[in-house]
Amino acid sequence: MAIITEYYLLLSAAVFCIGLYGILTRESALLFLMSVELMLNAANINFVAFAFYWGNLTGQVFSLFTMALAAAEVAIGIGIILVLYRNFDGIDVTEAATMRW
Amino acid sequence: MAGAYDFVPAIAALPFVAFLVSLFFGRYMPKRGAEAGIIATAGSLLISIWTALTVAGITGSATSYNENLYTWVAGVGDGALTLNLGVLVDPLTALMLLIVSLISLLVHVFSLGYMNDEGETGLPRYYAGLGLFTASMLGFVFSNNLLMAFMFFELVGLCSYLLIGFWFRDDGPPSAAKKAFLVTRFGDYFFLVGVVGIFVTFGTGLFAPLTEGGSVAAESFPVIADQVLNGEASVETFGFGAQTWFTILGLLVLGGVIGKSAQFPLHTWLPDAMEGPTPVSALIHAATMVAAGVYLVARMYGFYLLSPTALAIIALIGGFTALFAASMGVVKQELKQVLAYSTISQYGYMMLALGTGGYVAAVFHLTTHAIFKALLFLGAGSVIIAMHHNENMWDMGGLKEKMPVTYWTFLSGSLALAGIVPFAGFWSKDEVLFEALIHGFGSEGMLGPIFLLAYAMGLLAVFFTGFYTFRMVYLTFHGDARSDTARDPEPVRWNVKGPLAVLGIGAATVGLINMKPVAVLTGAEIDFLHKWVHGPDEGGWPAALSTDLVTYEELMDGVAGISSSYPIGGEQGTLLVSAALSLGLALAGVLVARSLYGVDEPTEHTDRLGGVKTVLMHNYYQDEYQVWLAQGVTVPLARAADKFDQGVVDGVVNGISSVSLFTGSRFRRIQSGLVTNYAALMTISLVLLLVVFVVFGGVVN
Repeated sequence: MAIITEYYLLLSAAVFCIGLYGILTRESALLFLMSVELMLNAANINFVAFAFYWGNLTGQVFSLFTMALAAAEVAIGIGIILVLYRNFDGIDVTEAATMRW
Repeated sequence: MAGAYDFVPAIAALPFVAFLVSLFFGRYMPKRGAEAGIIATAGSLLISIWTALTVAGITGSATSYNENLYTWVAGVGDGALTLNLGVLVDPLTALMLLIVSLISLLVHVFSLGYMNDEGETGLPRYYAGLGLFTASMLGFVFSNNLLMAFMFFELVGLCSYLLIGFWFRDDGPPSAAKKAFLVTRFGDYFFLVGVVGIFVTFGTGLFAPLTEGGSVAAESFPVIADQVLNGEASVETFGFGAQTWFTILGLLVLGGVIGKSAQFPLHTWLPDAMEGPTPVSALIHAATMVAAGVYLVARMYGFYLLSPTALAIIALIGGFTALFAASMGVVKQELKQVLAYSTISQYGYMMLALGTGGYVAAVFHLTTHAIFKALLFLGAGSVIIAMHHNENMWDMGGLKEKMPVTYWTFLSGSLALAGIVPFAGFWSKDEVLFEALIHGFGSEGMLGPIFLLAYAMGLLAVFFTGFYTFRMVYLTFHGDARSDTARDPEPVRWNVKGPLAVLGIGAATVGLINMKPVAVLTGAEIDFLHKWVHGPDEGGWPAALSTDLVTYEELMDGVAGISSSYPIGGEQGTLLVSAALSLGLALAGVLVARSLYGVDEPTEHTDRLGGVKTVLMHNYYQDEYQVWLAQGVTVPLARAADKFDQGVVDGVVNGISSVSLFTGSRFRRIQSGLVTNYAALMTISLVLLLVVFVVFGGVVN
């Protein structure tokens, strides 16, 4: 028997909140990146769940796009982290706070 | 075939080219640019003669010309204004072109003696200035619309500034130049408002109607104004009666005239302008600049005739200025100062003539005055060369034997200025006064007494004119030499004597062009100038342009209410009495001058005037009063306006910006630079937004 859609949504919300929590509390840029990945995947779960619920493929196609986007984002994010490491001798995001006003 | 009219723009273009040539290549020329100016003004003179002959019908059939040559702003849509540059040639233009180019040519030649031979520096600048001055005046003369006239009018003012301040290393000239520019600009400001007013009211600034193929293509503003008064057309008059509005417009334009023609109360720049080189003074006083104002009134005379009030004001200003300036000329010690006040006075006569309906008389006096005043200034220049630039008449004396050419020509000019028969000034001044007299007796309402008052002032000024003119002649040329330089004056060359001789003969004979008294007494048809501006009775240029005497006389009679009346023994009797009065007063002035100063060793008699002398020497405190106006009224006013601007206007603007600056500096503290904080803010905001949606159900009314 199929699992009902609400559970998927609950799972997605939980994963999203874990990602958000990570972003709000962590200081390491690498963990940031991972948290963002978590949030993106939470959205993906939602897409697939709704696609399953409505019985069409639109959401699944969307989640494919999201994955591609996430891959690109990770590439850029890793690049930023590398530069961050080179300039600040670490990947603590609270260190790089000079470019504001 | 190209006729003379096709070359009219070249009359102004030639001196303009001379201006450019002198400015850029003058320093490489042997005479430092004078060649260009002389060739160009000679060319202008030739074309002017050709034009005059064509207007006279001798070298062509078209006796007038009025065309737009260039449109520099084309209006789009209904009622839009189109601004053109164009050429209007009628007998008045032709006459003025002749005068201006002739005087300018002579002044250029004279400058060879006055500037080159004296070893002045900066001559290319000088000749460039002369060229531009001549070009702008000539352009002004043949302008066919008011805006073009205004533009050249301003150029004339600019050139006067450049030339009066030619010796800019001294203290006096730059200050005099600034004064001339500012005072005339003050008048021109009203002129500009008047130009805009006339364009807005009539939609055109044309002086004379444009005809195309025999029919009228565009009306001129004086004609439209006349039609409005006759009820044949209507224009926007901004809540005024039509005639009142036309009076206002006329008076606004008159502001520029008063400034340029140095009429009371804006005459103060002219005596100071004597700081410039003497040939420039001759040019300014005789043909360009100062003549421009009077010429403008004559040019749009059809408009002024529609407003008796404006005419009365012109007549009063003219008569008053004539007397006022003449009285100041009486006490001056410097040769050029006397001449300066005589110029103001003589232009007063022209304004008097225009105000009292003596159009021919005004044009006549403009002509004769141009000749004899140019002569007097050039003669004064010759004396100044001889005296090593000492202008004080009390250091002169006895120059008669040492410089006979200068003396005899100067005498000719002085007799003309004083108005002694048969020299030029007599005929023209007599006609001015005669017209004022008969129109004073013949006009309706208040105009009559006003004209008579102006006439009385003009008549009294004749005495003063005779007096100061011959005081000047006696002090300069007669008696014993009163200084070493006067005993051994520097000789002058042909380039000084030549122009003097031409003008000296002119001053003696140019009056013959309009010997009205002789014409009236003998019945001989010798009032040529009268015929010149009168035009043929039927058709011809008067029908095309309506700038002829017949039109003006109809307007004078019909609208202004000016008509002639001969109080004493008919026309001939009145004429004789008027002529006898002015000649008698002039002679009395000359004789008084002779008895006071025509002795071997003249002494100053001004002390006998007592307190009046101080007033006259200080020019009736006009300068002081204008300085007070500037410093006592305008400066505090400007300061108050500055306070308002700095405090209130800028205060509001600065207040707004400092409030945003302050709040910005506080709010930017939110920007911590920590990604975590931004994320938290975004999350909290999103949650709040969701809460709001939940509470209000997603619909906000």
